[in-house]
Amino acid sequence: MKSTLVDNKINMNGSSLNGQKTEVKIAYIDNVAYEIKDGETILSFVKRNFGKDLVPTLCDAPNLDPFGSCRVCSVDVALQENGPAKAQASCHTPVMAGSYIYPSSDRIQKLRKNIVELVLTDHPLDCLTCEVNNNCELQEVAAKVGIRDVRYPEGKNHLDRKKDLSHPYMTSDMSKCINCFRCVRACDEVQGQFVLSMAGRGFDSHIVKGSEVSFKESDCVSCGACAQACPTSAISDVFESKSIAKAETTRTICTYCGVGCNLEVATVNGKVKSIQAPIDAEVNKGHTCLKGRFAFSFYNHPERLKTPLIRKNGELVPASWDEAYEYIAKELTRIKTDFGPDYIAGISSARCTNEENYLMQKFIRVVIGTNNIDSCARVCHSPTALGMQRAFGTGAATNSIIDLKYTDCIMVIGANPTDGHPVTGAKLKQFAMKGTSIVIDPRRTEMAKYATYHLQLKPGTNVAMMNMLLYYIISEGLADKGFIEERTEGYEDFKNQILANDIDELSRITGVDKELARKAAMAYASAKNAMSFHGLGVTEHSQGTYTVMLIADLAMITGNIGRRGVGVNPLRGQNNVQGAADMGCQPHQGAGYYDLTNPDYQKMYDDFYQTDMPKHIGYKIPQMYDASLNNKLKALWLMGEDNVQTDPNTNHVKAALGNLDLLVVQEIFMTETAKMAHVVLPAASFLEKSGTFTNGERRIQRVNKVVEPIEGTKPDGQIVVEIMNKMGYPQAPYAPDTMLEEISKIVPFFAGVKWDELGENGKQWPVLPDGSDTEILHIDSFKRGKGKFHNADWKESQELVTNGKEFPYIITTNRELEHYNCGTMTRRTKNAEILTEDVLLINPIDAAKHLINEGDMVCVESARGKIDVKARITDEVLPGILSSTFHFPEIRMNDITSSVTDSDALCPEYKVVAVNIRKSKGKYKLEKV
Amino acid sequence: MSKNISELSGRKGLKTNLFEELGLLAKEEGTPKKEDLERLADEFLIGKANVYGSASFYDFTREENKGKKVYICNGSSCMTAGTQSKVHDQLSKHFAAEEIGEMCCLGRCHENSSFNFDGRNYSGNAIEKIEDIKAGKDKPLDHYHVESVGSGMLTEVFSDIDTFYQILKDSLAKSPDELLSELKKSGLRGRGGAGFPSAFKFESCKNTPGKTKFVVCNADEGDPGAYSDRYLLEQRPHTVLLGMILTGYIIGASTGVLYIRGEYPESIDVVTEELEKLRQKNLIGEHIYGTNFSFDFKVIRAQGAYICGEETALLSSIEGQRPEVRIRPPYPAQQGLFNKPTVVNNVETLACIPWILREGGDSFAAIGRGKSTGTKLVSLDGFFNRPGIYEVDMGTPLSVVVEELGKGFKSPVKALHIGGPLGGLVPMDKIKDLSIDFESFNQEGFLLGHASVVCLPESYPVIEYIEHLFQFTAHESCGKCFPCRIGSTRGYEMIHKARTSDYKIEKTLLTDLIETMEIGSLCALGGGVPLPVRNALKYFHAELQPFFNA
Repeated sequence: MKSTLVDNKINMNGSSLNGQKTEVKIAYIDNVAYEIKDGETILSFVKRNFGKDLVPTLCDAPNLDPFGSCRVCSVDVALQENGPAKAQASCHTPVMAGSYIYPSSDRIQKLRKNIVELVLTDHPLDCLTCEVNNNCELQEVAAKVGIRDVRYPEGKNHLDRKKDLSHPYMTSDMSKCINCFRCVRACDEVQGQFVLSMAGRGFDSHIVKGSEVSFKESDCVSCGACAQACPTSAISDVFESKSIAKAETTRTICTYCGVGCNLEVATVNGKVKSIQAPIDAEVNKGHTCLKGRFAFSFYNHPERLKTPLIRKNGELVPASWDEAYEYIAKELTRIKTDFGPDYIAGISSARCTNEENYLMQKFIRVVIGTNNIDSCARVCHSPTALGMQRAFGTGAATNSIIDLKYTDCIMVIGANPTDGHPVTGAKLKQFAMKGTSIVIDPRRTEMAKYATYHLQLKPGTNVAMMNMLLYYIISEGLADKGFIEERTEGYEDFKNQILANDIDELSRITGVDKELARKAAMAYASAKNAMSFHGLGVTEHSQGTYTVMLIADLAMITGNIGRRGVGVNPLRGQNNVQGAADMGCQPHQGAGYYDLTNPDYQKMYDDFYQTDMPKHIGYKIPQMYDASLNNKLKALWLMGEDNVQTDPNTNHVKAALGNLDLLVVQEIFMTETAKMAHVVLPAASFLEKSGTFTNGERRIQRVNKVVEPIEGTKPDGQIVVEIMNKMGYPQAPYAPDTMLEEISKIVPFFAGVKWDELGENGKQWPVLPDGSDTEILHIDSFKRGKGKFHNADWKESQELVTNGKEFPYIITTNRELEHYNCGTMTRRTKNAEILTEDVLLINPIDAAKHLINEGDMVCVESARGKIDVKARITDEVLPGILSSTFHFPEIRMNDITSSVTDSDALCPEYKVVAVNIRKSKGKYKLEKV
Repeated sequence: MSKNISELSGRKGLKTNLFEELGLLAKEEGTPKKEDLERLADEFLIGKANVYGSASFYDFTREENKGKKVYICNGSSCMTAGTQSKVHDQLSKHFAAEEIGEMCCLGRCHENSSFNFDGRNYSGNAIEKIEDIKAGKDKPLDHYHVESVGSGMLTEVFSDIDTFYQILKDSLAKSPDELLSELKKSGLRGRGGAGFPSAFKFESCKNTPGKTKFVVCNADEGDPGAYSDRYLLEQRPHTVLLGMILTGYIIGASTGVLYIRGEYPESIDVVTEELEKLRQKNLIGEHIYGTNFSFDFKVIRAQGAYICGEETALLSSIEGQRPEVRIRPPYPAQQGLFNKPTVVNNVETLACIPWILREGGDSFAAIGRGKSTGTKLVSLDGFFNRPGIYEVDMGTPLSVVVEELGKGFKSPVKALHIGGPLGGLVPMDKIKDLSIDFESFNQEGFLLGHASVVCLPESYPVIEYIEHLFQFTAHESCGKCFPCRIGSTRGYEMIHKARTSDYKIEKTLLTDLIETMEIGSLCALGGGVPLPVRNALKYFHAELQPFFNA
């Protein structure tokens, strides 16, 4: 310790660098000089030099702004050595150059002790039976300052406050509260939800949820930030995540959305006890959502599949792994021999690891010999990959989420991040509360409520909307001529076509006021740095790819590419949807996105895999269904995807799957799709395996096995390896390190990725051979050289052209915070107690027109079918527009969605479905599945 | 304090003001209905908890205020005068117990017996006519002596608006920098208690970039015993209003906010009326005197919380947040109201500005003593033979104020509590050592504060007075910092127990407590109450000794 101090000590004359005298600001700690960093508080200054333990704190928390309530961090500060000192709270006082800081003077030690003594006059002294015994900051500070007794006569206290155990996850016991405000600040500064506040004043001030209601009755979104922030057990969770009754913790990555939160999973006797968010995680800094923190109990749910199943006489019956492999190998060999490899297809999973996705495409391409490989990226961000590749050369987020700290304006297009990507959503909401934001969405989403400009367009008119914005940017003279000239091509034609638009017509199409559009365009274009974010509201449309290209145009025309705080940033949906595509799980590009039809790359793949690789483009998912119905596809292997519940037009999907000779499904639960399989293989969940996930900002992070796979299950990668072996291909056992080694040799942007070097926060690709990674893409030039402008004219969706007259309403599908996609996992957790069903959002005007009351069942009918769903009347949607979710299988939402897809990437158009509505008599209401 | 809520409240700003809405919702029943609060939360995009939390803070919006019809002043002066039990008895004949509330200091310290009924303040003999008052037959009267000795700038006779606002016309012909330099020369220091150099604050705010800035007048004169701000607001409102306009011109602000305590209904009325006159004369609004300078006002009625006199709590209050004291930095001059650069000054400070800009900074600096320049208003309570407001040059001996102006006491007095509840307790034999300026009081271990004087009569037990001070602090503590939130209550309990039972105070425990509050508290409330307690322990040692362990 002593030597470190001396090393950090500063030559008081200031250091000299390259002969130039540089001014070094110093201050003294116990009369020894140390260098000050700009903007540093006394607390951070002392911590930097002496570690975190010298100055005790209670109200300070690493992810919250300084607050100054507990005063325990006070230190003495003097202007002269040993001069008259003033006690100052170190957490919020900037360190002043030349000042003398005495962190532990006698007076200060006494002050701390006296403050903590006051705290203990109103705190139960039942440490031995307290959840946080031995993990309590108050206990630690009390021990440190050396409290031996409480001298005050007994007075008013709050020891009789009742516990709140109303909520499925959150708990509180306010008798343990020390009024540090950390929960209130976490709810405000981290989540932005404002559920908690102090109420009353003085000694009576106390934490309230809402207007003094329980957690359950409040607007709490169960992110758990308050519980994690609480220094005692005043707020905690049902898993007692702050208790030290845990054998060990394992750091891993959340399996839900593409944000990629780091999780710290505590286990007891080989079982998961609770989850917290590590504070040093770059992605989520101690924050996560209720899915990441609490929705883990699916993993040992009694309904987990625990044995392979083979369909015999129409029934799925248990079988051994050998039996199952034997059956599959025989069938695949038969089909390959009788019909050819192109009669077999595989669908990989964005929920699985990079290594597993890599293996899956390798299996299909190398062992089977076809490019019929796709993944669920098809149904979400395939237009993003394609559109951005066309404009920039790379189909991935150009920037990182941390850039929100450096931007001046955000534009959120077709995304509902506070529900879909909660941690990034919270950061976007934090920005929107303070900065300029534009939200383009048919719904008045949470983000839209806080937006500076909400452009509430009619679903399916994104292209027209983008053209409006581009029109105003050009006509108002806000195009960045320098950037356009230097970095892009095709601008002149592009500009002329944009200006040829009839702006009134565009306004009519979108339903968005011209002036509002103009203001929003100017806000985006005149911001020094502007970032755009988009989601499935952009991609899941017949013009998805075109909209993505126009978003890229917006970034290029304003020069918002290639530096901090700018860029085009798709909010990738699933935990590893970026990775699945990177690994080559698409029919036209192999691992690393090489074009399979280019002879040079064909040779490269042939050489790498030492075999004659398939040379023509394979089927995309919708084409697989068509091929099956046309008897052109006989076998389909699905790894972790429930196509029946999630793909549009369920009857069409079911017919296609039903027509196959062999349907293999790797799953953790008996899904709607698994029910149709010939062979079901029980897979391990993310908690039971290792590998890597790549999040939406290209960050490759380590997934570490927390518990052993539930007996009878195997990691997906191992299953694929075993079937490869069974079919005669010598693939080494599944292990992330060796798999990554292979991947790094073929995927160029993984060149420097090594399992052992990924660290706790991973690396953002491209990772160069020397191991350095990349936060921002296209800094000096685009991947494709120059950025390319593309025009697109708006075209009405075929769905509305064909069915719009008969079915005059438009339903658009979306997600709710509590559930993840089709809910296979989240419905098997207490999340299902928080959000119990899918509902139909309907405008009050429409509801009145159809005599629909809140909670009534509504029959929603499209050209494909009809469903019954409960009405929630709200002005979040405009008249004529409806919205719902497909988290619960019993609603069968995808019975009504259409087979219309994006023109270029074939992503289904979930967002525009022509329907009619009427008050239901309950005739079509289905039994709970 | 939440930066997010500052922003969200700032989106609606002052037109539909969150705090004002809270007050309006409480008007009918004394406290807002929960469903109204929740609607307000939705409208402002903030949490139900935030709005509820704010409403639960203030005396006049919290649930306990429900159904209150009449309020008895429980300020220090009315308390030591011993008039309030009679007022209570009288009121009890006309109101049910649950209809009678308390207000802390109506600023009628010159004659006491104060109470508030139906939004009007009454004092002196008014209680005798409670029946007429209830019937609406009696109008409140408020007379007190006003006199100046020396330079007399704040009390000078007000001619008329046009003449007075010539200062504005002349000033607008000069640059803000020129005016600022006059202020610098004047040496003007904040009259609210802290004595911070005003020009320094103005300059800092002026130099902070920002299109939107604010001038906030802290008219939350909560110190029991003080009524000099009330005098200025009601009798010389234009000194304050013009002071704010000129400040706006100097720092580049176009909005002034007057945050006036709800306990001063007459002040709010007078200021509102005078603003209307200015509007008629186009002296506020757009393009004043045809220049590019525009300035307008917002009057905010406070809802009963002493802590709002602390400038950062006051800013949070205007924003509709809980008025919990903020950390500094950022200082309001950098990040104040709605996170915008803001100058917050006390009424009397702002009132000095027109005179300074008319007469020149040097003339102001020539008055007073040392670093305490200009004059000071002093308010004397009802124990003086001639209570009232006196304007004296800084440096005037306290004995002159007590003897020559106040004409001595009506009955024997053992100490003067000067500068509000957090000011020092000055024993009679220290009067001769003090003069009305910041330095003199500091040197002697007291505080000039706002220069209000409350007398502690010979018959009044010091132990009871200390108990009152702790109780006051406990009641008014915002609850944010630990030393004040817990310490003030424990201090009150300890003294109360010693006074009412055979419990003896551990001397070390009490000194530990007051040191903890003094050096540990976030603001001057918890940090300030130890001063009079220390004074009491020092100067009334013998009287207090029986309550302590030997």
